[in-house]
Amino acid sequence: MEVILSVLCQGMIYSIMALGVYITYKILDFPDMTADGTFPLGAAVSAMMLTGGMGSGWTFLTLLASFAAGAVAGMLTGLIHVKCKVRDLLAGIIMMTALYTVNLRISGKSNVPLFSSETIFSNKAIDGIFQWLLPSSLNSYKVLIIIVVASILCKLLLDLYMKTKSGFLLRATGDNATLVTSLAKDKGLVKILGLSIANGLVALSGGMMAQYQRYFDITMGTGTVIIGLASVIMASNLMKNIPVIKNTTAVIAGAVVYRGAWAAVMALGLDAKDMKFITAALLLIFLVISMERKKKVKTHA
Amino acid sequence: MKKTISAILRMASILSMVMAVTLLTACGAKDEETTKTTGASKSEMTTEADGDTTGETAAKGDLAESSYTIGISQFAQHGSLDNCREGFIEGLRQAGIVEGENLTVDYQNAEADTGLANQIAQNFVAGKVDLICAVATPSAQSAYNAALNTDIPTIFTAVTDPVAAELAGEDRMPVGNVTGTSDKLPVEAQLAMIREILPDAKTIGIIYTTSEVNSESTIAEYEAAVGEYGFELETVGISSIADVPLAADTLLAKVDCLNNLTDNTVVSALPTIIEKANAKGIPVFGSEVEQVKIGCLASEGIEYFQLGVQTGQMAAKVLKGEMAASEMPYEIIEESSLYINGAVAEKLSIEISDEVRERATEFFTEIE
Amino acid sequence: MLELININKYYNPGSVNEMCLFQDFSLAINDGDFVSVVGSNGSGKTSLLNIICGSIEIDSGEIQVGGKNINGVKEYVRHRDVGRVYQNPAMGTCPTMTILENMSLADNKGRLFNLTFGTNKKRMDYYKEVLSKLNLGLEDKLNVKVGSLSGGQRQAMALLMSTMTPIKFLILDEHTAALDPKTAELIMELTDQIVKAKKITTIMVTHNLRYAIEYGNRIVMMHQGKVIFDKAGGSKKEINVDDVLGLFNKISIECGN
Repeated sequence: MEVILSVLCQGMIYSIMALGVYITYKILDFPDMTADGTFPLGAAVSAMMLTGGMGSGWTFLTLLASFAAGAVAGMLTGLIHVKCKVRDLLAGIIMMTALYTVNLRISGKSNVPLFSSETIFSNKAIDGIFQWLLPSSLNSYKVLIIIVVASILCKLLLDLYMKTKSGFLLRATGDNATLVTSLAKDKGLVKILGLSIANGLVALSGGMMAQYQRYFDITMGTGTVIIGLASVIMASNLMKNIPVIKNTTAVIAGAVVYRGAWAAVMALGLDAKDMKFITAALLLIFLVISMERKKKVKTHA
Repeated sequence: MKKTISAILRMASILSMVMAVTLLTACGAKDEETTKTTGASKSEMTTEADGDTTGETAAKGDLAESSYTIGISQFAQHGSLDNCREGFIEGLRQAGIVEGENLTVDYQNAEADTGLANQIAQNFVAGKVDLICAVATPSAQSAYNAALNTDIPTIFTAVTDPVAAELAGEDRMPVGNVTGTSDKLPVEAQLAMIREILPDAKTIGIIYTTSEVNSESTIAEYEAAVGEYGFELETVGISSIADVPLAADTLLAKVDCLNNLTDNTVVSALPTIIEKANAKGIPVFGSEVEQVKIGCLASEGIEYFQLGVQTGQMAAKVLKGEMAASEMPYEIIEESSLYINGAVAEKLSIEISDEVRERATEFFTEIE
Repeated sequence: MLELININKYYNPGSVNEMCLFQDFSLAINDGDFVSVVGSNGSGKTSLLNIICGSIEIDSGEIQVGGKNINGVKEYVRHRDVGRVYQNPAMGTCPTMTILENMSLADNKGRLFNLTFGTNKKRMDYYKEVLSKLNLGLEDKLNVKVGSLSGGQRQAMALLMSTMTPIKFLILDEHTAALDPKTAELIMELTDQIVKAKKITTIMVTHNLRYAIEYGNRIVMMHQGKVIFDKAGGSKKEINVDDVLGLFNKISIECGN
């Protein structure tokens, strides 16, 4: 039971990051590597604010600050791509590398513990609310509830945004950038906006993770893009045919399933060393299955 | 339709074969790890022999009935950490808790991934182990976090600064159900030793990895202490093993000798560094016995295996109920051991005085 | 009034591959003109469109709209007054978005793309009305993704979308070339209807000489970056396909084809 709980918690924190990767990878069609640097950026910003003494109800401001920091990073990636005309992949890699130094500068040291600070999961305000709201038997679910609320909120806001004119323009940019120019809009600017929002989400996820595991470590960003891509690919390929599930919901589910697969692999007794290989194999299988599906459609059409 | 099914079946069979192979190799590797002895084989054998006789008699007496499950969460693959873990198991054995008899050990390595470290810790807590042993800072923090609202004690080891990691208070007292040992390097002893061997040296160079928090705190200590011994400190930070050659070249141009911390990345690249230093006739000092064996001139450091043993003994006390983790201040190794490599000294034409030689715990005469 | 004055454009200047596209090229398009531009491949027809729209830059010369110089104006800014339909039907619509969403996008051209809702329920009737005139059944498929439509249907939508909001110029770049004859006919008629109804100045590049003659009030033939034939109004009505074809052959022989 606790394993399921921890899978859900970690999975849903990562799902916010996966929503960000969904925006860049699926909607904008821009393979964005910045996430490996933005995830710890959000974590560093949150950690520094909390160790600086932020407490009680104000801890939620850390999430907003993390989002803002990520948005700036994404904007810079966009500027490098649009103004300096650097390829999408390279622009992301450049920012990711630069962010390593920036993150270290923000945090001051490579590991910042949060055991003695208040976090969004445990502070006077939240504890008070939960005492009033929940019977004490459900206390262990407090963290999960906060995470679920946060990620569902992000998803709903994103869905809402995708229905607006600005959201339409974003989708159009990834789909057919020529049309955006025909609509008299600067497609470069739209890409920058998309990258900002996406990396803001990634950083927010990083901020939450730091507070969940109660420490910031400079290495916590490695592999973020892979986790995000795996979640998005799982979501789009496995759940495409279930009409009720919206794209963004599928991404959240994908992130949780991916985390669950890790936990299952560990429970089977396999070594953590083999984890990366298994991840790669799983991804390959999902991609192949989705391609088989596409072929099926073509022959029947 | 048929084609699709057969394709999927093909993929599935390939994957299951691959998984089976990896499972077998994984199991095989696990067996290897528990029986393999790295480095100080001779000394380990003797302690094992001692432990056997004293341990077993004690075992039969006190622990006839209880059996324990321990989760060991190690952060990364690294010689020192491995030594530490083996020492830990040995320390338990000395206190009568023997693997295979009254102890089951679940060892997991996070491969330097904090996400995995979290998962491992949570799995241990879900599996209701009797104790978690965490090797290195991020794993210790994940373990402590996961076990916070349970009564599973966390025993850490190879955490250089438990106070900075918020795993212990200023006065070494625990902040919760967590305690352990710190691999804090005896900075002053090392500096004194360097001064003894190289009376005219002025600058010491240190390469460290910016992502290793242990290195950061040790460098701070070095910076505070070098002045007293008449040295100046030059440091170069790297972010990955690929940066080592360039960092080494940069430093070697400015310093009289190089010094090592227990920085995982740097130590993995030690052969490269030693080669470059030898080419310039500059000695490299180590922080651990293994480093001296492969070509460092000398080290006045700690032995990870011993640190592990000390940790194991602390864990045994907690398991047996003699003391709670929340009552035990964390420990460090008080006495440093001097190791010298004579072959290296000869190569670099450095004289090792007899006094220094006598003090040495071991004097190696060849380079491995 | 659109004027191209003394345009010079070289491809790969200074290199072995240097090619002169336009040298001292001038052309004036009056308001209300429907110009068909024909010519052999490489004559500069599409480059002419690209220069007007701002997709490629000129080396020297001036482009003037209503007397104002628009040389430095960015491509997307020029498109505020320009509608463009490409040869490839896929370039005019967004395949993963529905018909309704595409129409909403086009409807919002010239206004802010802000945080208000993308689709306006009130406008749905208007879209249905406009789509029903195509007689392609699209008005019943508002929630179908455009990617699943046929080339002709997508091109029809592209045409509608590019003319939905008020524009000064309609640029048609061989927009029937990739369609089958029946659909091409449909699209041409639609083009004519829209241009006449909304009185848009139109420049159409085409390989189809019949269309060039039948539609529009002016025909321009280009060859090697120069206008060699320019007939408008009454004199245009007198020419027929054979005349134009004859001229084509003449210049081809001159070039040694």
